[in-house]
Amino acid sequence: MVNIKINDKHITVKEGTTILEAALQNKIDIPHLCYDKRLVPYGSCRLCIVEVEGQAKLLAACSTPVTPGMSVRTETPKLLKARKTVLELLLVHHPLDCPVCDKAGECKLQDLAFKYGPAESRFKAKRKHEPADTGSPLVERDSNRCVLCGKCVRVCGELQGVGAINIIGRGFESKISPAFDEKLNCEFCGQCIDACPVGALGRRHFRHSARAWFLEPRDNVCPYCSVGCTVTYDLREGKIMRARGVEGKGINNGNLCSKGRFGFDYIYSEKRLASPLIKKNGEFRRVSWEEALKHIAGRIQAIKHAHGADSIGAIGSPRCTVEDNFMLQKFMKSVNSSNNIDSSARFGYAKIQEAVQMSFGLNRLPINHESPLGKDVILVVESDIASTHPVWGLNFLKAKKEGSNLVVADTRETKLTRHSSRWLRVKPGTGVALLNCIIKIALDEGLYDKAKTQKIEGFSFLSETVNDYPPSAVSRITGISEDILVKTAREFLTAKSRLITLTIGASENTKGLDTALAAANLVILTGENPSSLQMPAEFCNTFGLWEAGVKPELGGKNAVSMLYKPGAVKALFVMGENPVITFPDSKTVEEALRSLDFLVVQDIMMTHTAKLANVVLPASCWSEKEGTFINAGGIPQQVNHIVNSFGNSLADWQILKNLSKVMGAEIAIDDIKKLREEFKNNKSVEQPAKLTFNPVTYTAVGEYDTEFPLKMITGNLMQHSGALSCMSKGLGSVIADAFIQVNPADAQRYKIRDNGFVELSSIKGSVMMKAQVSDEVPEGTVFAPVHFSHARINHLTSLSETGSPPICAVKIKAAN
Amino acid sequence: MPAKKPTKTSGIKDLVIRVCVGTGGLAAGSQEVIDEFGRQLKSYGIKADILKKCVNKTGCRGFCAKDVLVDVILNGKSETYQLITPENVARIVEEHILKGEPVKEWLVGPEYHAFHDKQTKILLKECGHIDPEDINAYINIGGYEAVRKIFPLETFEVIEEVRASGLRGRGGAGFLTGLKWDLCSKAEGKPKYIICNADEGDPGAFMDRSVIEGNPHSVIEGMIIGGYAIGANYGYVYIRAEYPLAIHRLKIAIADARKKGFIGKNILKSGFDFDIKIKEGAGAFICGEETALIASIEGKRGMPKAKPPFPAYKGLWGKPTVINNVETLANLPSIITKGAKWFASIGTEKSKGTKVFALTGKIKNTGLIEVPMGISLKEIIYDIGGGCERNRKFKAVQTGGPSGGCIPASHIDMPVDYESLMGAGSMMGSGGMVVMDDTTCMVDMAKFFLTFTQNESCGKCTPCRIGTKRMLEILTRITEGKGKEGDIELLLELGNDIKLSSLCGLGMSAPNPVLSTIKFFRDEYEAHIKEGVCPATVCKALRRYTVSAELCKMCGKCFKACPSAAVTWEKKQPAVIDKTKCIKCGACYEACPFSAIL
Repeated sequence: MVNIKINDKHITVKEGTTILEAALQNKIDIPHLCYDKRLVPYGSCRLCIVEVEGQAKLLAACSTPVTPGMSVRTETPKLLKARKTVLELLLVHHPLDCPVCDKAGECKLQDLAFKYGPAESRFKAKRKHEPADTGSPLVERDSNRCVLCGKCVRVCGELQGVGAINIIGRGFESKISPAFDEKLNCEFCGQCIDACPVGALGRRHFRHSARAWFLEPRDNVCPYCSVGCTVTYDLREGKIMRARGVEGKGINNGNLCSKGRFGFDYIYSEKRLASPLIKKNGEFRRVSWEEALKHIAGRIQAIKHAHGADSIGAIGSPRCTVEDNFMLQKFMKSVNSSNNIDSSARFGYAKIQEAVQMSFGLNRLPINHESPLGKDVILVVESDIASTHPVWGLNFLKAKKEGSNLVVADTRETKLTRHSSRWLRVKPGTGVALLNCIIKIALDEGLYDKAKTQKIEGFSFLSETVNDYPPSAVSRITGISEDILVKTAREFLTAKSRLITLTIGASENTKGLDTALAAANLVILTGENPSSLQMPAEFCNTFGLWEAGVKPELGGKNAVSMLYKPGAVKALFVMGENPVITFPDSKTVEEALRSLDFLVVQDIMMTHTAKLANVVLPASCWSEKEGTFINAGGIPQQVNHIVNSFGNSLADWQILKNLSKVMGAEIAIDDIKKLREEFKNNKSVEQPAKLTFNPVTYTAVGEYDTEFPLKMITGNLMQHSGALSCMSKGLGSVIADAFIQVNPADAQRYKIRDNGFVELSSIKGSVMMKAQVSDEVPEGTVFAPVHFSHARINHLTSLSETGSPPICAVKIKAAN
Repeated sequence: MPAKKPTKTSGIKDLVIRVCVGTGGLAAGSQEVIDEFGRQLKSYGIKADILKKCVNKTGCRGFCAKDVLVDVILNGKSETYQLITPENVARIVEEHILKGEPVKEWLVGPEYHAFHDKQTKILLKECGHIDPEDINAYINIGGYEAVRKIFPLETFEVIEEVRASGLRGRGGAGFLTGLKWDLCSKAEGKPKYIICNADEGDPGAFMDRSVIEGNPHSVIEGMIIGGYAIGANYGYVYIRAEYPLAIHRLKIAIADARKKGFIGKNILKSGFDFDIKIKEGAGAFICGEETALIASIEGKRGMPKAKPPFPAYKGLWGKPTVINNVETLANLPSIITKGAKWFASIGTEKSKGTKVFALTGKIKNTGLIEVPMGISLKEIIYDIGGGCERNRKFKAVQTGGPSGGCIPASHIDMPVDYESLMGAGSMMGSGGMVVMDDTTCMVDMAKFFLTFTQNESCGKCTPCRIGTKRMLEILTRITEGKGKEGDIELLLELGNDIKLSSLCGLGMSAPNPVLSTIKFFRDEYEAHIKEGVCPATVCKALRRYTVSAELCKMCGKCFKACPSAAVTWEKKQPAVIDKTKCIKCGACYEACPFSAIL
């Protein structure tokens, strides 16, 4: 700790703190424009200059670390004069178009000019007249207003790891621009907009829509991935106008991705459902809640009567709150006496849960947001964290920057591979072999925790199993040279601290249960805690859905038994899910749904699944209801009711509560409080860890033959999340059309043009979409994002009922 | 060429002809002179050792105006010719080399000797005497002895020797080299780097280029010494791409040094590894600033960073780094071989050794000079420089380039060392010395330097980016006769604020030329503003453009030159300028051979 004085006030701060940080921590304001807590001090605006006793020069508070005994003055006449000059200089060129600037009212330059600035300038000069860049999706740039503080450039490069913009030109002519003055082409995370202290960067969809002083800020949890960022939504007359990240708030501490910042507008989609609908003669008819619920109750009771309780099933949703999901399982288990309940997590997070249970004996393994930081080695197994969990992904970039050895095994080139210390471009789905090989090397070279692990159940079986995975064999399987395999393994095994991370999302097909088990085996073998394996839940409430009990227990049918075997259930409740689009092998799912006697879908919009339903119920969406999301870190976060419900929609839990009552069930739940209490009492207890090795083998996946010579990877784009984000106009303006990524060599082979239509077929069927020729995928592999319902990519995919990844073999040809 | 009859050549026992091939020499046609010597001598059957020697624009003797300079050393007796062209060569060969009678009218005059007598040469001693592209030439004069000498020593002993010598950084700021090394050697982090800053960018400065072109091995040897002392195994030379010859010679020198085992693995079996890479700059003046230079090597935009952290702790790639100027490094071999005491015996109490200056501007003997620290300005300007051109009145000298300031004639007895220059509101800088006489307008001069810094400002910090622009606008309007009451005060206020609040040395010193000229020549500014007169008649817009009937010789040249038909003239009549039509372009002023236009 260091003792200093600022304006005669005695202050004690940590060593290495800058004068500005010390001042801000102690509520002493020093004006600044270019400082950002998340970034390396830059010292360009020169507003934070201070006087330090004994120093002739004025020092920039943002970039001067405190030294013991330092005495700082922040507002002397000398400083005020110099500061005034700096502001005056900035204002000579900054257009005074505050009346038409969205930033007015929250503009730092405006505030500083108000506080320090001169009313009249000693200088006169022409203002700049650069044309504004309004042609990019989401982000607008008006360089005339720019004060060149460089925050956008640094946020983009340093923090976000993109570097889409930089300063070009020199001296007075410098300006911020993408390379060669081109249009902005980036991730569209919008971090630069929030960082901009003036109106040089703005949200395209917010432009001229509300004055800052009329906006009412309300915080909420982001509805997309499981990181669970806190977002500040600015409302005008009850409508969300924009979203911001605010420093110091939430786990994200001000950072947001494009989904979080721009994706909220899905709640205003024209496709929202306003009232209950009952299908009659193939046509939906608007009905009252009373009629709809009575109709459902009658049909359910009839089916139960005819076929028994086991003929009723339900699908929950990782997008719905804990309360919604808890009510659904209660509705099934206690009202309908059926344990047939599951969700899309069956194809993703359930595998993680199973592996955690099998390997560690735990019933939950939350991730830690800070876990990548300070690790010697980080091994990412076929996972595009920067797209699926973008804000968590930033910590991987940060760790790398701070010296971690970031090893990324991935077939596709992703943001993480670009930032990695080593990119292992493995063949798709070969993560198990790679992990087994590291285990083999650990055992052969004695690089494991012998004392801790040799007595663990399954050890000898493990050593037998991995005997088939020497570097020579795994080199053939993965396509990585033996040298690199051995080098990577040794680096990993001899590191002081390490982390393995992988995601298993419902839409990802390169990993399976076996991949998670192999990773767990390796973690146990190194003597690390289970927390060295970080496998995040997928969506905002995937973790909570699981905690709420939306899973088949006590012999209940899971999603696979319910939806892939026609006749397995007669009636199905689907809450906030669209199996026809998002579940693998969706044709089979569609057939199963069509064969049902009775299908109820409650959703926020008319989905493809809802179209097949007998009754469709309008649900209120996130922000229109109160509730809880549990993020991947296991932290329950309050979802706030900040806007009015759309039409006659109701919260999912309320619909189910009402339905239960209509069905005559005696449930003691009237409000959310009671529901939460019951959930709390029902929560499963933490179990003590029990370690077990579960040796797994690598099975060549997909049916590769001459007919289907290509392997198709399915996965996520950075700007989208499941199918939900496609309802957002904002995100849709970045990318709204499906595509299949094809390597240039394959494109040549199959005569495919970039942006040309192709027919893509697997053993299950064929679909049409545009091709994107790119070497982000290697030869022999194609990549399909799963978000776009019109592409029906799941017509091609298959279920994997074993532990191996469900990689899909396809063929491709140009469509005329 | 027709074959000449072989003449008696037996009297020629030993012949060396030295011709400069520095950038300046080559530009003056030295390659053609060499070729002509070759042809002539061959036709007489004389084998001569025509040694390519390093002389650049000013040459080792510092006479850029007298290039091409040629030494003819016949049987041990040396004569120096000046202003030699290929046409002169035949006569020199015939009369001097064959008959032993030097061509007197082409020999250098007394000013040549006066120019040299007051100089003390350490760095430039070998420039022009040895072949810069031959490592053996350097070794023969004791080169790389210093490297041999340091290896038995502990690194701290080397640092101590440099510290004891009192050597200060020659790049401008004058930080003690030994202290800088000491900080870096104790800093945590591996690997460490040493960077040679050869991004010489001041207008009219060519000290570093001359040293590298003339004696590249001295710089390499200096880097090895520095690398050993601080524990760096890697060195970078950051050099302007505009110095192709220096880069070429440096590449040859590095390759030769590697072949001889002076750089590479396990140098001279000492166990010390050291290698050097060249990084060519892309032409930004700001990249001479050390943090911007580091950013540039790292492949980033060349912009300065806030200090601390200083490069000695966190420099290139975040590792401890020492950055020394070319001249600083080139001093090291002599310090090691001759000892700290010897070096410290030259110069003043706080400024030790010699300093190389590029003497330019309105001075007779323009050139590159090396003088002991503490020499007076008077000695430099009158004894070495020979006074102002056309014997005009010396008015001021600008030192320290665009970051420095103006020292007026009244300070002519001032000693030239770090403290004295700083005290006079200027600085040592890298060694530019621009001399001004009474035909120099000080406002225009300040405008020139500010135009330079304004162009070269990187744009990072507000005061420098926008403030210098505003200052330049004010200066421009003063020189255009549009100056306003209060402009001088505004320049002073703004200039001081820029100095106080800028991020790096460029901004902190950019107003210096303006502030120092206002300090010493405020009357000139006032004349521009209040009287609408440029006392030196440099500012075109302020000339009166009237014809003096007394001086006018009625030649009509002004009439022909005028683009706006403002001049009326008839034969045998003095010209008259119609002010309503005059656009003050200055064409008549330039055209008049009798200075009759005022």
